[in-house]
Amino acid sequence: MIKKKVILNFSPENVERPVTYQLIKKYDLWVNILQAKFEPKLGGKLLLELNGSEDQIKEGLSFVRQIGVEVMLLEQEVLWDEKRCIDCGACVSICPTGVLSLDQMTYKLKFDYEKCIVCGNCVEACPLQAIKVTF
Amino acid sequence: MQRTYEEINTKIRSGKAVIVTAEEIIPIVEEKGIKRAAEEIDVVTTGTFGPMCSSGAILNFGHSDPPIRMQKVWLNNVEAYAGLAAVDVYLGATQPSESQEMEYGGAHVIEDLISGKKIKLKAISQGTDCYPRREIESYITKESINQAVLFNPRNGYQNYNVAVNTSDRKIYTYMGILLPHIGNANYSTSSQLSPLLNDPQFRTIGIGTRIFLGGAQGYIAWEGTQFSPQILKDEEGKVIYKGGTLAVIGNLKEMSTDYIRAATFKGYGVTLVVGIGIPIPILNDEIMRNAAVKDEDIWTEIIDYSFPHLIKPSLGRVNYKQLREGNITIRGKNVPTSPLSSYAKAREIAQRLKEEILRGKFLLQEPIRKFTEESKLKPLLEKR
Ligand code: SF4
Ligand code: SF4
Repeated sequence: MIKKKVILNFSPENVERPVTYQLIKKYDLWVNILQAKFEPKLGGKLLLELNGSEDQIKEGLSFVRQIGVEVMLLEQEVLWDEKRCIDCGACVSICPTGVLSLDQMTYKLKFDYEKCIVCGNCVEACPLQAIKVTF
Repeated sequence: MQRTYEEINTKIRSGKAVIVTAEEIIPIVEEKGIKRAAEEIDVVTTGTFGPMCSSGAILNFGHSDPPIRMQKVWLNNVEAYAGLAAVDVYLGATQPSESQEMEYGGAHVIEDLISGKKIKLKAISQGTDCYPRREIESYITKESINQAVLFNPRNGYQNYNVAVNTSDRKIYTYMGILLPHIGNANYSTSSQLSPLLNDPQFRTIGIGTRIFLGGAQGYIAWEGTQFSPQILKDEEGKVIYKGGTLAVIGNLKEMSTDYIRAATFKGYGVTLVVGIGIPIPILNDEIMRNAAVKDEDIWTEIIDYSFPHLIKPSLGRVNYKQLREGNITIRGKNVPTSPLSSYAKAREIAQRLKEEILRGKFLLQEPIRKFTEESKLKPLLEKR
């Protein structure tokens, strides 16, 4: 079993296809929907975490590509150096997916890795250089 | 109620002083009222930990043999100002490195010095009869040099704008990255914990006040540069205090990187994140009232940083309670906020200062002189 994070980009033409259902049913994958954003006439975006064997994931994704949905693999990960972090919050407001927030009790930074799409915004916003993207 | 500095210090020495932070005082005053709180509490401690560009260090390296009158000096490739006596320099926090540019600068040298690291020193000179040497390369540490004094001409800004960007491109500012179309809003004070918002009229804070500076005990040396306190009131009676600043000084050798950090704002440059805590002696009810200020009563202005001129347009006012919740509404749009100044660290500093006073290690110092009150900010006019 391996885990992979992917972003699926739907166009207006294929936005109605039951992709997650097929991935679960036909390819026997565990699918975790980390984020979903859909607009009726414009298409949409799905951030998924897939759990399964390497082959299952490969086949599942080639099926998704076949029906015209763009697939982006998230190979990279962000690394947060908690010791360097001063909880200034400069990274919070530029994160597009709400991964970063300040706890309303402690005002310390919370990092909800699950939803991260590795866009790199926080990397350039952190004045302490406490966040890095790995390759 | 009236209390003197001497009475407070006597209580501190005998372990009887009652001290709370500027956050802890809020529910106390809400419950007991100003008068009773003022009777019970001797000192309120404040704190702030944010980027403060106008910072730097005075260093004296000692003389080499043969001696050199240093005319140009670099520390880890960051130039320090050497137009002083032979081996004195002023290292500015924002000076970029000549080899790594914005990734490293004066602030990083200061952080490295504090953490005890070896710093590469290079100096050149024309050579004189009394100082024949023309060049020196060596390594220094904070222990190997005579003085290392942090002297920051402008720190602890009383209040600051909220920065937004109405243009259609991302901009890189000293207020962080601002996303187009008011995509985010950045602010930078510790609000209800902030020193100069808890004594907004400088009743107890003045020249000579002993403070917590970067983990050590320091002093207020003077009013900060651009000191121009203003009290603005709008139609609804909302008060905005702004414009107060502090020049602070302290022994860098005693400081800790827990409370002083180097930072780089992408596209803007290097700066120093400075931790400052100031104790406010509760000398009377009025001082108590001011020290009990809370986020919802501290207002600031939302300013459009995409406007390239000195006076930038305002998009309205907002208070720190709203800002701290993480979202504000601007022109009907829900906008996420970022603090830049660490509230968690500000809280830690106020807490530490409280503990140091409780342990009798930190006595209160009455200002030797109050700040000059009438002070107006002058722009730089271009004259020919
Ligand atoms: S990389 Fe992007 S999505 Fe991930 S935490 Fe940083 S800003 Fe948020
Ligand atoms: S910007 Fe950097 S230092 Fe500030 S809270 Fe985010 S990770 Fe921490």
